[in-house]
Amino acid sequence: MLKTKKDLTRYSQISYHLMMLPGMFFLILFSYVPMVGIIMAFQDFVPSKGLWGSNFVGLKHFIYMVQLPDIVKVIRNTLIISIGKILLGTFMAIAFSILLNEIRLKFFKKTVQTIVYLPHFLSWVVLAAVVMNMFNLDGPINQFIASIGIPKINFLGNNKTFQPLLISTDVWKEFGYNSIVYLAAITTIDPGLHEAAAIDGASWWKRVWHVTLPGMLPIITLMAAMSLTGILSAGFDQVYNLYSPIVYETGDTLDTYVYRIGLVGRQYSFGSAVGLCRSLVGTILLLTSNWLAKELTDRKIF
Amino acid sequence: MKNLKRSLIFMSVLALAATMPACSSKNSESSSGSSSASENNSQSSKAQADGPLTPYSDEITITLGRQTVQNPKIPDGDTYENNAYTRWLKKVLNINIKDEFEASGDDYSTQVSLALSSGEMPDMMKVSSKDDLRELYENDMIADLTDAYNTYASDYIKQIYDSYDGRALGDVTFDGKIMAIPATNVDTVGEVWIRSDWAQKLGMKIDEDKNGCITISELEGIAKEFMQKNPGNAQNVVGMAFAPWLTADEPDGTYSINTIAYALGAFPKTWINENGKVIYGSTTQETKTALKQIASWFKSGLVDQQLGTRTWDDITALLVNGQTGVTFGCWHIPDWLLNNVRSMDSKATFESYAIEDANGKVNCKHNNATAGYFVVNKKYAHPEAAIKIVNLFYDEMANSKTLKQDYPEVAKYQEDGVDGSTRPFNIEINKSTSLLDDYSDIEKGVKGEISPDQARTIESRTVIQNVKNYLANPDGCEVVDWSKYHSRMKGIELIQNLTENNKLNWVTPIFPTTTQTMKTNWANLRTMEEETFIKIATGAEDADTAFDQFVKDWNSMGGEQIISEIEEQLK
Repeated sequence: MLKTKKDLTRYSQISYHLMMLPGMFFLILFSYVPMVGIIMAFQDFVPSKGLWGSNFVGLKHFIYMVQLPDIVKVIRNTLIISIGKILLGTFMAIAFSILLNEIRLKFFKKTVQTIVYLPHFLSWVVLAAVVMNMFNLDGPINQFIASIGIPKINFLGNNKTFQPLLISTDVWKEFGYNSIVYLAAITTIDPGLHEAAAIDGASWWKRVWHVTLPGMLPIITLMAAMSLTGILSAGFDQVYNLYSPIVYETGDTLDTYVYRIGLVGRQYSFGSAVGLCRSLVGTILLLTSNWLAKELTDRKIF
Repeated sequence: MKNLKRSLIFMSVLALAATMPACSSKNSESSSGSSSASENNSQSSKAQADGPLTPYSDEITITLGRQTVQNPKIPDGDTYENNAYTRWLKKVLNINIKDEFEASGDDYSTQVSLALSSGEMPDMMKVSSKDDLRELYENDMIADLTDAYNTYASDYIKQIYDSYDGRALGDVTFDGKIMAIPATNVDTVGEVWIRSDWAQKLGMKIDEDKNGCITISELEGIAKEFMQKNPGNAQNVVGMAFAPWLTADEPDGTYSINTIAYALGAFPKTWINENGKVIYGSTTQETKTALKQIASWFKSGLVDQQLGTRTWDDITALLVNGQTGVTFGCWHIPDWLLNNVRSMDSKATFESYAIEDANGKVNCKHNNATAGYFVVNKKYAHPEAAIKIVNLFYDEMANSKTLKQDYPEVAKYQEDGVDGSTRPFNIEINKSTSLLDDYSDIEKGVKGEISPDQARTIESRTVIQNVKNYLANPDGCEVVDWSKYHSRMKGIELIQNLTENNKLNWVTPIFPTTTQTMKTNWANLRTMEEETFIKIATGAEDADTAFDQFVKDWNSMGGEQIISEIEEQLK
C-alpha cells in the first residue's frame, strides 16, 4: 500500500518536471550555450575566421584591460552608481512598502500602487527624453531653482550632479516595483505579533522596528544578496541614454565603456574579456554574500 | 531627443514593415506592363549584349543597409523601400530593393558595426570609414568589383573617377583589387550662416567690403547683437550652439567649431605632414587658442550654456524656433537643415560668410577624395548590379535629356527636392570640378546666358528653375526653391568668389590608414580628446593646464607611437 503511494507520488512529479522543461531549455540555450563565447576573451577574434579559426593570445586582453588608464575611473564610477542604487533603492522600497501597508483605504492604496509601478514598465529610451527635458537648463526643475534665486544647474552636463541624478532617477523608476516583494513579505508576518506588541504599549515606530523589519529580514537579505551580483553593471540603457563626453569622468561605467571600446570600436575579444571579469566578480560576490548571510542571520540563500 | 529619434525610427520601421507587402505587390503589377518598353529602350541605346544598363531577365532582389535622413518631402505612401527611384530601378534594370535595416546618423554606424560583428551583412551597404572597409576586406566579407567595374561602368562614370587622378579608386583598391564603390568628395569651405532677415531688421551692417569674409570679432558682434535684441522673439535665446563633439574630421563639419578653429590656424582632427614629420592637429597650441576662444564665449554666455548636452537635433530645433540665428556648416546645409527653418518661418533668409584669419586669408583643408563606400557582400550573386545601379543613378539620371518625358515620376522627385537618400545608394559620385562647374551653369542659366537644357546635369536644370522661382517670389515660393537658391547662390557662390579672389589658403592633410597602435588605443585617445575639449570649452577645467596635460597624456598613451607609425607609412 505504502509502496504504491510512493510510486504514485513519483509519477505525479514527472508532470511538474515536464513543466520545467521549456524553462530549462531556454536557460540552457540563452545562458549556457553563449558561454562558449568566453573563448573569445583569450583570442584575437576575427568574425570571418570564427570561434575555432581565430588565434589564441592567452591573457593579452586582460593585461591590456588592467593597463588602461581609464579602468580605475570606470570601475569607481560603476561601484558608486550601482551601490548607490542598491542602498537607496532598497531603503526606498522597504520604507514605501511599510507605509503602503498602513493604508486601509483600498481604492487609494491601489491607485498609489499603480502610479508608482508605472515607470518600471517604461524603457529608459523613453524616460531619458523625459529626464532630459525635466533637467535641462530650460526645464521645469531649473525654472524652479531660478525662481528661488539659485543659479541654474546643467544637471546632465555637470560631473557633480550626474551621479546623484542617475541614482535618484533610477530609484524613482524602480522603487515601486521593487516594493512588491517587500509588501508580500509584510503580509506573511503574523498579525498576532503586532497585536501583542500593541497591547504591550509599543508605539508604531517600535512595532515597525521590532516586528515588521525582523519579519522582513529574510527577504531583505535575499534581495540584497541578489542585487550584489549586478554590482558591476550600473544599468547600461540608463547611462547610455543620458551621458555625454562632458560627464565621462563620473558617468562612464563599465557597461558603457565596454560598449564604446568593444562593440562600436569592434574589439570583440577585449569586450568579452571585460564581460568575463565582471561575471567572475559577480559570482564571487554572490558566494560571499551567501556565506555572510549564513554567518550573520543563520539563513542561507541556496 | 536622440532617444526620441531612435524610437521614432523604430516606429517608422514597424510602420514600414506593415505597409511593405501591400506596396511590393502593387509594385510588381504596375511594373509588368511597362517593363518591355524600357527593355527595348535600353537595348536599342546600348548595342552590347550585356552593357551598363542591360536589365536582368529574371527579377533580382538586393537587400540593403539604408542610411536615412529626415525626409519631409517624400510623397505620402512612398518609403525608402518603395519610391520613385526604386520603382525606376525595377522598371529599367528589373532589380528589387529590400531594406535589411534603415537608420540615420549615429544609429546607422551602430547598425553597420553590429552587422560587421555578427558577420551578417546585407547584400550591399554603405560604410562610412576606411577602417570599416579595410576590416570587411581583411575578413573576406566583400566582393571584388574590379571586373564588374571594368566591364560594366559607363564611360561617364569612368570619367568621373578619373577626374580624381586615381585618388578616389586608389582609396578603395586593396592588393590591386577594387573592393568598393567610393563616394566622391569634392573640396568645400566651411561657412557661417547668418539670419540675414534679422540682420536687416536690426539694421546691422555685415561684411561691408563685400568680400564674403568676416573676422572672428565680427562674428562675436553679430551673435551678441542677435542675443541682446532677440529678433526672433524667442524664449531662451542662444548666441551660438555647437555639437557636443566640438570639432569634426571633415573640413566643413556642421555645427562644429572647425570654421573658427581654422581661422585661428588650428586644424583639429587632422593629420598634417610637415616635411616628413607628422603632426596631429588637435594637439597643437593653435587648437588650444581656438578652445580658449570658445571657453571665453561660453563664460560670457554667448555660447550655448548647454554645450555638451545639446544634441544635434536640439541645435536644429534652436534654429527652427528662432532661438539662434548663427550656425556653421557647408554650402549644402540649406538643402537639408536650414530648409526646416524656412518651413517654419517664410520670412527667414540666410547669408553665408567665411571667417578670415589675421592675414585676411580663409584657411581651409582639402577633403579626402572619398566620402564613404558602397560595398557588396561577397556571397551576393550579382556584384555587377551595384555598378549598373551606379550607371543608372549617377550617369543616366544626371545626363539623360529625356528623363522628364520617359520617367516623369523620377524627374518630379528631383523638382520637389525629395532627399537623395531615397536613391538606393545614398552616396554622391561627382567630378572633382563638379561643384563650380554646376555653379557656373546655374549662374548662366539664371541670367539667361544659356538655356536650361545646355546645363551639364539634370540637377542644374532643376536648380535653375528653383532659383528663378525664388527670385520671382522670395516669400511665397516653395521651400525647395528657397533652399536651392540658398545653397547655390549663397553657399557655392561664396566658394566661387573666394576662389576667384584668391582668398583661400589650402592645407593638404594626409589620410593615414589605421595603424597597429591606433587599433588598440585610438578609441581611448579620441574619448580623451573629446572629453578634454568639452571640459575646456565649458570652463570645467582651466584651458592651459588641462590642454597641456592632454597633450602629454595623448603622447604617452600611444599618440607618439601612432605618429611614428604614420611616418613609417609615408616612407
